[in-house]
Amino acid sequence: MSLANPLVLVIEDELPMRRYLRSTLQSHGYKVEEAITVEEGREQARRLSPDIVLLDLGLPDGDGLDLARELRAWSQVPIIIVSARGREEDKVIALDFGADDYLSKPFGSAELLARIRVALRHTAAVAGAVTDSVVQIGALRVDLSSREVSLGDAVVHLSPNEYALLVALVQHAGKVLTHRQLLKEVWGTAVGPQPHYLRVYMASLRKKLEADPARPRLLLTEPGVGYRLKA
Amino acid sequence: MVLVDGRASSSEVIRAACRLATLQNVSWFAVQLDSLLYSKVADERVSEDFRLVEQLGGEVLQIQLSNAKDIRELAASRRVATLVLGRHLGHRNRRMMAILKALIQDAPAMALHVVAFQAEQPRRVSLPEFPGLQSLAAATLVVALATGVDLLIRSHMDLADLVMVYLLGITFVATRFGRMTALVTSLLSVGALDFCFIPPRFTFAVQDVRHLGTFGVMLGVGWIVAHLAERIRAQARMALEREGHASALNRLGGVLAEGGDLEAIRARVETYLRRELDMRVLVLLADGKGDLNSSGSQNLGSDEAAVAQWVLEHAAPAGKGTTALPGARGLFLPMAGTEHPMGVLALFPGGQKLAVEAERQSLLTVFAAQISLALERAHLAEERTEARIHAEEEQLRSTLLSSVSHDLRTPLAAITGVTTNLLSPGPSADPADHRMLLSTIHQEACRLQRLVNNMLDLTKLESGQVKVQKEWVPLEELVGSTISRMEEQLVDRPLQLDLPEAWVPVDPVLFEQVLQNLLDNALKYSGPGCPILLQACVDAEQFALTIADQGPGVPEGEEQRLFEKFYRGNRGASIQGSGLGLAICRGIIQAHGGTIQAHNLPAGGLQIRLTLPIEGAPPELPPEGYS
Repeated sequence: MSLANPLVLVIEDELPMRRYLRSTLQSHGYKVEEAITVEEGREQARRLSPDIVLLDLGLPDGDGLDLARELRAWSQVPIIIVSARGREEDKVIALDFGADDYLSKPFGSAELLARIRVALRHTAAVAGAVTDSVVQIGALRVDLSSREVSLGDAVVHLSPNEYALLVALVQHAGKVLTHRQLLKEVWGTAVGPQPHYLRVYMASLRKKLEADPARPRLLLTEPGVGYRLKA
Repeated sequence: MVLVDGRASSSEVIRAACRLATLQNVSWFAVQLDSLLYSKVADERVSEDFRLVEQLGGEVLQIQLSNAKDIRELAASRRVATLVLGRHLGHRNRRMMAILKALIQDAPAMALHVVAFQAEQPRRVSLPEFPGLQSLAAATLVVALATGVDLLIRSHMDLADLVMVYLLGITFVATRFGRMTALVTSLLSVGALDFCFIPPRFTFAVQDVRHLGTFGVMLGVGWIVAHLAERIRAQARMALEREGHASALNRLGGVLAEGGDLEAIRARVETYLRRELDMRVLVLLADGKGDLNSSGSQNLGSDEAAVAQWVLEHAAPAGKGTTALPGARGLFLPMAGTEHPMGVLALFPGGQKLAVEAERQSLLTVFAAQISLALERAHLAEERTEARIHAEEEQLRSTLLSSVSHDLRTPLAAITGVTTNLLSPGPSADPADHRMLLSTIHQEACRLQRLVNNMLDLTKLESGQVKVQKEWVPLEELVGSTISRMEEQLVDRPLQLDLPEAWVPVDPVLFEQVLQNLLDNALKYSGPGCPILLQACVDAEQFALTIADQGPGVPEGEEQRLFEKFYRGNRGASIQGSGLGLAICRGIIQAHGGTIQAHNLPAGGLQIRLTLPIEGAPPELPPEGYS
């Protein structure tokens, strides 16, 4: 993994999109390889071991979702779905299938680069294995070893579920976590509890951590998909 | 024209007339030849004959003819081509023959058919009803009274005058108590006259043979008076019945005139007929494909449903009292429309009324015709409404097409123009211009994106593809998520929030779209820096949310038009937008079962208020123990 010039594999069948992605990424110091079909994408991913994959869903020889699941089976490479399918259900499915993020077309380059950075940072953290025991995001400070949460100088008292939810978000800061993923992280199963549980604990977390819970700066809602901690 | 006289069942004559009429492809009718002497049996036969006529598709004229002259006049006025009458074999048929002879001699321009038929065995002999005790007592009293009067006046009067008094009594009894009582009265009167006044008095012996003549005349007059009175009574009864029918029809007309859709008319007619006829009545509607509407036939057994279907297909009555499927339970009358059958009228007379008598059946046939007319009118009205809606949809589609093509082309034109400028090999513009051109492309592309998204959303909403999945969501989260998505637009705009801490049952994705569209609208249509107020209140039954701006509002009376597709207010031209945002809001809110309205605020500005129903309460969470 060359963190100086990460290799991006773009699997996309539309030439204008490939052109746009290549020029944007190259001008920001990424190396870019392209694939047009599922078949080619699978082969390139094996051969090149890219640092990140940008994957379109509607490919000429199959569905990108299947490729995402397949890649996830043998690789931890971050996958960002780039698709014109904008429905929330599609996003949830892709994220639950192991994609790291989801960008609906059309999108701006700033957005694209930010998502790529978050995804890369996350893999770097996982690869580093030993994450810092203290995470600092703005005024929020979470000490994972002593299970202590503070906002500025004030210590915040959280219930066990609130704490578990916050940790799940902190560990994937910047990344969208679906309802199912969060429920699994906090309660250990995605079957029993409902999104309603999440909303309850998210509301109380916001009350404790946000200056104005109606204008959240930290704990953001992705409507119909899940939640994200602003990195 | 077929003549029926009731002296014997004329069914063969009627069938012959029907065959003739079918062959010649002309309409036909039956008319009754009055009887000189009234008889109940004859009356019933005539009813039976008339029922047959109606079943065979003929018309029944409710008038009575008495001689060849009447027949000629009627034939002339109805332009009758053929007269059919019957000759009863084994009877002398003197009257029929006399009429026939008269008709032949004074040849009218019509063919005469005489159908000879064998006398059938009378099916039942109905004995004249024996007068009741009350009638007999009345008869005796009347005779006693007449005798009393005669005793008082006998010294001043002739025998003939005394007889007159008795005749007066007989006539009185005949009009009040019927034929048999009148005959008894005649006999009693003769007896009383003989006993009290004919010498030798106070015996029944008769000295003078002439008095026997008097008795004969008395009895004869009594007999004739009795028959005449009976006939008058029968006619009065018939007139009363006809009046009853007319007023029943009148009431039905009133019921039908109330209008409404097919289902409403069906329900009203059923209730009305049930009350009017005092029997179970079903109005079965036909669907477009010529089958009976399943909703109506649910109440029928499978046999009855089959009969009803048969009636619908053949447009002929069937069931009890008809020739078709007479074994069925109930009478089924077709309700024929002008183009296709409207349905079937099913009647289920109670056990005691085994068949519906001819008079009633003809009335019911008229009922069926009236109902089918009303149903057809309602049906046509529905078709017309559908056609209008269809036309409106077409109109809307063409508006949409023209509006969309304009809205799509404008940004495309800008993008195309700007990019050709950028690509042209001319002298390169200075960097500031270059940037301005690029930002134009960006803006126009964003505009296109918004428009396409809105159109897709609206199309999904209108085609019913959107399923509202209500979940309990904190109001705060809904508003918060919307605000963070609109951060850029809200940078320099004060947004005042007044939200209760409450959970509401909504589809979070759709509802946030509503909030976003409403906020976006408020931002666009009020000046820069103008505050926007977002308020909500929640109680046990509903949830209300208002968004108010301090812009110019909308022209008076156009508040609700805001939610129409492509409505762009009076400042629409100067502000970018597709005119779809609020239409989407309305679609989503209506899909939630809520309402959305706009009002101009007295202090200026526009307020949009939406309400959503709240049912139930958010689920309780299991308590969480602190560890």
